[in-house]
Amino acid sequence: MRTTMRLASLALVVTVAGSALTAAPAPPASIKFEEIAKKAGVQFRHNTRRFPGKTGDVLRMFTSGGSSVAVADYDNDGFEDMFVTDSAEGKTSRLYRNNGNMTFTDVSATTGVGGGNDPLSIVADALWFDYDNDGWKDLMIIRFGTPLLYHNEKGKAFTDVSKKTGLTKFGNTIAAMAFDYDNDGKLDLLFGNYFKPENLLELKSPHVLPNDLDNAVNGGGVTLWKGDGAGAWVETTDKAGFTKHTGWTLDVGHGDFDNDGLQDIYLAVDYGPDKLYFNKGDGTFLDATDKGIGPDTRKGMNVDVGDYNNDGWLDVYVTNITDEYMKECNMLWHNNRDRTFTDLSRETGTCETLWGWAAKFGDYDNDGLLDIFVVNGLRSAGPENYIPVLVELITKPGVDFTDVRGWPNIGNMTWSGYQKKKFLRNLDGQTFKEISAEAGVDNDKDGRGLGVGDFDNDGRLDFYQSNADQDSLFYRNVTTGAGHWLELKLEGTKSNRDAIGARVTVQTATRKWIREVDGGNGYAGQSSTRLHFGLGADDKIVSIQIKWPSGATQSATAPIDKITTIREAASPAAR
Amino acid sequence: MRGMLRVAALACAVTIAIQTTGSTGHASVQDPLVALEAALQAAPDDIKAGNDYRMAVIKASQYDRAIAFFEKLTTAHPGASNAHLNYGFAYVDKIPAAGAITQVILANNALGEFTKSLDLKKSWIAYYTRGNSYLFWPRIFDRTQRGIDDLTEALKIQQAEPKRAIHARVYVALGDGYWKIGKLAEATRFWKEGLAAFPDHAGLQGRLSTEGDAQQKLIEANYDPAKRVDTSLADLWSTR
Repeated sequence: MRTTMRLASLALVVTVAGSALTAAPAPPASIKFEEIAKKAGVQFRHNTRRFPGKTGDVLRMFTSGGSSVAVADYDNDGFEDMFVTDSAEGKTSRLYRNNGNMTFTDVSATTGVGGGNDPLSIVADALWFDYDNDGWKDLMIIRFGTPLLYHNEKGKAFTDVSKKTGLTKFGNTIAAMAFDYDNDGKLDLLFGNYFKPENLLELKSPHVLPNDLDNAVNGGGVTLWKGDGAGAWVETTDKAGFTKHTGWTLDVGHGDFDNDGLQDIYLAVDYGPDKLYFNKGDGTFLDATDKGIGPDTRKGMNVDVGDYNNDGWLDVYVTNITDEYMKECNMLWHNNRDRTFTDLSRETGTCETLWGWAAKFGDYDNDGLLDIFVVNGLRSAGPENYIPVLVELITKPGVDFTDVRGWPNIGNMTWSGYQKKKFLRNLDGQTFKEISAEAGVDNDKDGRGLGVGDFDNDGRLDFYQSNADQDSLFYRNVTTGAGHWLELKLEGTKSNRDAIGARVTVQTATRKWIREVDGGNGYAGQSSTRLHFGLGADDKIVSIQIKWPSGATQSATAPIDKITTIREAASPAAR
Repeated sequence: MRGMLRVAALACAVTIAIQTTGSTGHASVQDPLVALEAALQAAPDDIKAGNDYRMAVIKASQYDRAIAFFEKLTTAHPGASNAHLNYGFAYVDKIPAAGAITQVILANNALGEFTKSLDLKKSWIAYYTRGNSYLFWPRIFDRTQRGIDDLTEALKIQQAEPKRAIHARVYVALGDGYWKIGKLAEATRFWKEGLAAFPDHAGLQGRLSTEGDAQQKLIEANYDPAKRVDTSLADLWSTR
């Protein structure tokens, strides 16, 4: 599928991009970011969990995630705040409130949301979403364990409502998203689970690692939970058709890939094939992996969704591992508009980003084209390299990969560490150019998560980079000569209040863009739900069309270079 | 030679069998690999029979079958140097169809069989094959010098033989080996030496006509595990 369709779709890309770009402005002099984590008061050192016993070193290496960031305006003051996780026992995560001047105040202690790293649970991710549609974003702490849920008391405090959620099933959950798969206005949850559901902190069997390093089937799969809009969920994994997936899910992503008004799902799966599901609209999903993307043996690390070529169809970007010793290549799944995708990562220049983790689309220079920032790097430590040691294990005849006792300790060795981050600038909707050093973001930390948002409300997207066992970084966008922009905050009424799943189409005289509100796409990083459009030189909006999850469509107007809130109309114009 | 004739005869028999079953309307015909496997079982050390079999396996994408077959063959005939050589190539043939980690395992298994072949018979093809396979390993594994050592032995052997087109490969690989360890002058010396002997060789011309990033791209493209390596040994019995 990937190969056979490549030529045809490339021609399509060229045609579409060519027509879209006729009015594109000249690129700005430079995309530039300034690292301000310390200055802004959000520099935070993450700590991975340490495990007891002889197998502790290997388990720590395998669970080196947990460093994440979630962006949202929790106090509705018009400025994006952020929640940053820690994973070591007893360590607390941080809630940073935006002071409105690119400085932040740590309000973790006063709000009481920093916990979760207890002796038998590990904080792995976090998610903001308004589960009860009261207009205030609530916070879910995702764990190797069971999740915690904090109800937002109008931005002043949080109440732990975890006991009422019904989310009591143990899972080694590493990724989560809130979305409304049945469009009933109540947010549902999809959890991506890495290990099988066995508590690694009280290991009963040493056979917990992948049974195959390219086609593992002994992971945690996913669990799907249908929400009641009041803080309780019931599991619908089996009914929806996800139980057959038993891979090592590392990230989950959603979007309306076939433009039918229903949210579809892409799973990035480590040690084996990624998965693609189309929403059938009856509470079940069609596994379209074979036809839609085909099987792969790569290490799926991240899912982000965006229309990189502005053809009105959502594409998918997946990071894998392309290193000195593993040549997997990332996947930029170009949407063929027929429920199939073609990987154009080689053709577009988005293939090689080393040991990839989070990657986020974003129009960082407001030229009307989505760029991509990718973080990478597994473990930066001493001069000795773990790879030759590891290969000795891998090539041992008859070795049982699942047995944690058989893996060599990593100690102070480096494994794919000190890797330069990759900023891929979208040149024309069909090719990207790496400009990491010029942009000032080529740090060599062991990156994990990315949270993108316009933290200073200046129309230029900033981002926060969380790192494993290292200080985080916060990049303020200081690009000069950026284009015009538009930011839309959507509020559902019949639809879920966060408007997750809403599709917005913005038209100017020369171009058209789509964006969808997502509920947590991207590994270890939730970006703002505020939709950002770079408009380039276009200074007039011709139309804004919103397709709400409820099915309603709505026209709206908004000024350029401003942030505008649009509320779902009580009497929608059309259905 | 005897083995070659046998394979040809068997291939002919297969053709006849296909035609016969076809005329009776049976959709399923005799598996052509069966005949090639029979030929190898009869002459396990026949390098051409092994090569023909592998080429058919590649067409049929039945890599695991070939690996299993050669495993049995070499177990039954542990002294058959060329069976081990083709066994190693059977692993190499599967590499582009495998995942990144499995590729490492396959490459390592191939290396093991190439070593067994070489231990049994110190031939030009055995030295060249193992030496070249070392070059596919990333620098981190520190195997390039071993590749250079093997290729140097292959060069010594070929310099004592009548010149054949396939000998150009050693100059390419030796140069690539030195290039990989950063000895560009040595690399260039071998490429130039090779080009003097084989003036039409595109690979040598390409390496000598590029430099810097272009040269790197050209060389690294030849060692990309995602790309199928031409493991056909047909040039060995080429009269050129």
